[in-house]
Amino acid sequence: MRIENPQQLEKLRESCQTQLGKQTRKLLVCCGPGCLANGSQAVSDAFKAAIEKNKIKDFTVEALKETGCHGFCEQGPLVVVEPAGTFYTKVRPKDAEKILEKTIGQGELIEELLFQDHSSRQRIPCYRDIPFYSKQQRIALRNIGQINQCDIAEYIAAGGYTALVKALAEMTPQQVIDEMSTSGLRGRGGAGFPAGRKWSTCANADDLPHYVICNGDEGDPGAFMDRAIMEGDPHSVIEGMTIAAYAVNAHEGYVYVREEYPLAVVNLQRAIEQAQEHGLLGEAIAGTDFSFELNISRGGGAFVCGESSALMKSVAGEVGEPRAKYVRSVLKGLFDKPTVLNNVESYACVPAILYKGGKWFSAIGTKKSTGTKAFSLVGKVRNTGLIEVPMGTTLREIIYDIGGGIQNDRPFKAVQTGGPSGGCLPESKLDLPVDFDTLTEAGSMMGSGGMIVLDDQTCVVDLAKYFLSFLVDESCGKCVPCREGLHQLYGMAVAISEGRATEDDLDKMERLSDTIVISSLCGLGKSGPNPFLSTIQYFRDEYLAHIKDKKCPAGICRELIRYEVIADKCDGCMACIAACTPDAISGQKKEVHVIDQELCTKCGACKAVCKRDAILVL
Amino acid sequence: MNHDLSKLSEIYDRYPRTPQSLIAVLQDIQKEFHFLPCEALKQTAEELSVPLSKVFSVSTFYNAFSLVPKGERIVRICVGTTCHIRGAKQIQEQLEDHLKIKAGETTEDLKFTLEVVACVGACAMAPVVAVNERYHGSVSVASCKKLLKPSKKT
Amino acid sequence: MVSLTINGKVVTAREGEMLLTVTRRENIDIPALCHHDAVEPFGGCRLCTVEITKAEWDGWTNYVTACLYPVEDGLIVQTHSSKVNELRRTNLDLLSARCPNSPEIRQLASEYGVTQTSFEEVPDADNCILCGLCTRVCEQLGFKAISTVGRGHSKQVAAPLKEAPPDCVGCLSCAQVCPTNVIEYTDTDGMRTIWNKPFDLIACSECGKHTITAAFADALSTLREIPRDYFDVCDECRRKELSLKMGSIVAWSQEEAS
Repeated sequence: MRIENPQQLEKLRESCQTQLGKQTRKLLVCCGPGCLANGSQAVSDAFKAAIEKNKIKDFTVEALKETGCHGFCEQGPLVVVEPAGTFYTKVRPKDAEKILEKTIGQGELIEELLFQDHSSRQRIPCYRDIPFYSKQQRIALRNIGQINQCDIAEYIAAGGYTALVKALAEMTPQQVIDEMSTSGLRGRGGAGFPAGRKWSTCANADDLPHYVICNGDEGDPGAFMDRAIMEGDPHSVIEGMTIAAYAVNAHEGYVYVREEYPLAVVNLQRAIEQAQEHGLLGEAIAGTDFSFELNISRGGGAFVCGESSALMKSVAGEVGEPRAKYVRSVLKGLFDKPTVLNNVESYACVPAILYKGGKWFSAIGTKKSTGTKAFSLVGKVRNTGLIEVPMGTTLREIIYDIGGGIQNDRPFKAVQTGGPSGGCLPESKLDLPVDFDTLTEAGSMMGSGGMIVLDDQTCVVDLAKYFLSFLVDESCGKCVPCREGLHQLYGMAVAISEGRATEDDLDKMERLSDTIVISSLCGLGKSGPNPFLSTIQYFRDEYLAHIKDKKCPAGICRELIRYEVIADKCDGCMACIAACTPDAISGQKKEVHVIDQELCTKCGACKAVCKRDAILVL
Repeated sequence: MNHDLSKLSEIYDRYPRTPQSLIAVLQDIQKEFHFLPCEALKQTAEELSVPLSKVFSVSTFYNAFSLVPKGERIVRICVGTTCHIRGAKQIQEQLEDHLKIKAGETTEDLKFTLEVVACVGACAMAPVVAVNERYHGSVSVASCKKLLKPSKKT
Repeated sequence: MVSLTINGKVVTAREGEMLLTVTRRENIDIPALCHHDAVEPFGGCRLCTVEITKAEWDGWTNYVTACLYPVEDGLIVQTHSSKVNELRRTNLDLLSARCPNSPEIRQLASEYGVTQTSFEEVPDADNCILCGLCTRVCEQLGFKAISTVGRGHSKQVAAPLKEAPPDCVGCLSCAQVCPTNVIEYTDTDGMRTIWNKPFDLIACSECGKHTITAAFADALSTLREIPRDYFDVCDECRRKELSLKMGSIVAWSQEEAS
């Protein structure tokens, strides 16, 4: 049915809520990126088969929902039973029947599937009591993992589209912009530009038409917040964009989704069609004379297309080469027309801001960085997953209270944020609050939300080399400092990792970095040297160890390490021989194995498969 | 090599025949043929009124496109930061050794293409390897070769 | 009109003009390898970077490419400050690593103190600096025959599919606009070859010289609505013809006057 006014939406919401209320228990199977990679689809299929087979009273297959990312990826595949919030971890297909019979059927808990706290060894049945969850505040991620994202009825039942319909019926575009300015929302893609100001500039631009674009090109390796939102709550993005379009007088918009996220494209496309059917998108939205057509534009696979002007070239079907930003894209953007470009997470916040008010949002977080921020907390941390916390939460709180500290109790080394454009911060900086400005002052940046925790087994020289290699590969090649400069900088980083560099080379790299930062055309080049600059700032000693001592303290840089078998630990199981690709290990069964140093490529495969911890890196 | 280029007109019908549709059209062609045949590039230039030089430029700029045929099963090793620090390089070496090709290449029998991809967004389950549309998390050096076995499901 | 200061001198400029236009008018020599008045500014070589500030910026300076930065009232510009020179020097050093055999790059680099690159030379280097002038001029003329291929450090200028470009008419604009003279072509016996594509050259009906390809003549004839036989006479002969005509008109008018 088409919604023609707020009262009809309210009626529909009530009816959806009533319908969903009939499901006395809900069985949520997390199908977010992490759990899917962990086999959650098979778990869901097992449930479907089991429901078919065993009829349970008051429980039908409609109450089984494949949701978006619930958040605690490390413990996946996750299964949640609401309304109790019963939280089952590492669920396998064979557990499906038991969960149905015991928990759904009889309301009993299955002890061994419950989450177990690492230090206290206590089992915690309800996820809301687990510190990983209880310390979060979810606004952009409010619906993800809670609803079936493929059904607009569930989004509406959760309050979706109320903000949009209210804005169209009761507010002027200027009032919407004012609300956004009051909220203090700053761009969640990383640049942190005030959304209200951007929308205002576009709205007042004389040149027509105006466009609204969503940047779903989440290219930072280690970040998957936007993927989770596009897949897990696509309607929140659509609603946010439609509200923006109303505010800036745009009637056409694009969601730019990177090529590596095919499921996001599918889920967004379905959501667009559903919204159109309900008169909440397209012509005459909610019975008003405002129309907004939304299309999906798929990226071709290029990190540089996360840059706004390159993204717009890509939407236009061209190569993603950025242009100089002296004339901002908010005035001359897509097809040289005024364009609002915001990140996925920014749009996801918009309906909540309009629904609860800009004042409410501005009261959360800090004065200059209001609201909350989603992070992908990954790396060597115990509790990896997708989280959202108020701005101003410290790195320590995130990594230790929510993240549970370092895996295997290894020493913390650094936390890398901001993707390739960001940097590493050491232990001494753990009490810094996470917001748009503080981390930047310290030599890193918050970025789009990727937070990668590193332990003592990570080499910062290797990490800098890794990021530089990534940027060299992704550079569009238009300007000299980025194309030639990063290439040379990478070569020098390789030389350090191979023990061929001198201290003078470090100075040379610092001077070259300065030129690249100042004279590159776009953000990719300008922030390109950051992986080197931030690590040299805090970990100069580690660089000097590679240069002066020709040693890699973390045991990573292959030219500077040696693998050896510890004779009295080796039991001759031959696992390392099987894994060794250059066939550098010799030995019979039950005999101590020996590594031939001439043939060994230091790949580390042997150490990875050795169950006796018999291989040492020197 | 003969390709059923008659499928092309079906692809062109899906989108407006304008330059703006170029990337979407090329992606559909890539998906259909597992690469971009020369003839398809030429026809696309005509259908969308785009100069051939620009079609070629776009085909070679983006990671999604390949001008040489890819294998039936595309094995993408994620080498994003998290996967990198959790050992993606070793997994890459294991698979390269097993298939006797380097990343970016295809086996002679066209059964496998090995690729590295910067990040597929499943970082919490690093290291990740995707085989066609299926993602596999927490892959280890010991288990990675098993991913290449033909699976009973699609 | 806008008033700004360049290297200490106050100058005026029209709204919307780029800094590079103004500096050229003031006879200030700033390198700008990827710039050509026939096409839109590109901002690729970064050599025309200048230092800008304003009184109200409290000493904060920015570095922008003059080719793309529009003039502003009250702007204070330094085209050769020590920082600017340092940036140009490093970028020329990088270009010298990419094109160690290019005399044009060597000349320009030496003006900024780089006699040999301090970086790793690119193996098997050609002299292309990827300024994109050739592709952009070709696009501007309407032929769009060549383009950049690939991305990043291995980017190249090439014909589509690395075959003879179907849209090329052999006009030589790309070769003529190239700052490092990379694009090769041959003209022999009434045939021109460029981008591995052969073209017939038209022999002037007056002097017999070959100056234009038949393909280019055909294209111009269509694009500019000129009769095709116009191109049967070369430009030089046309000028001679015209000057003779002008001469006879002047002679006749002098006769009439006296």
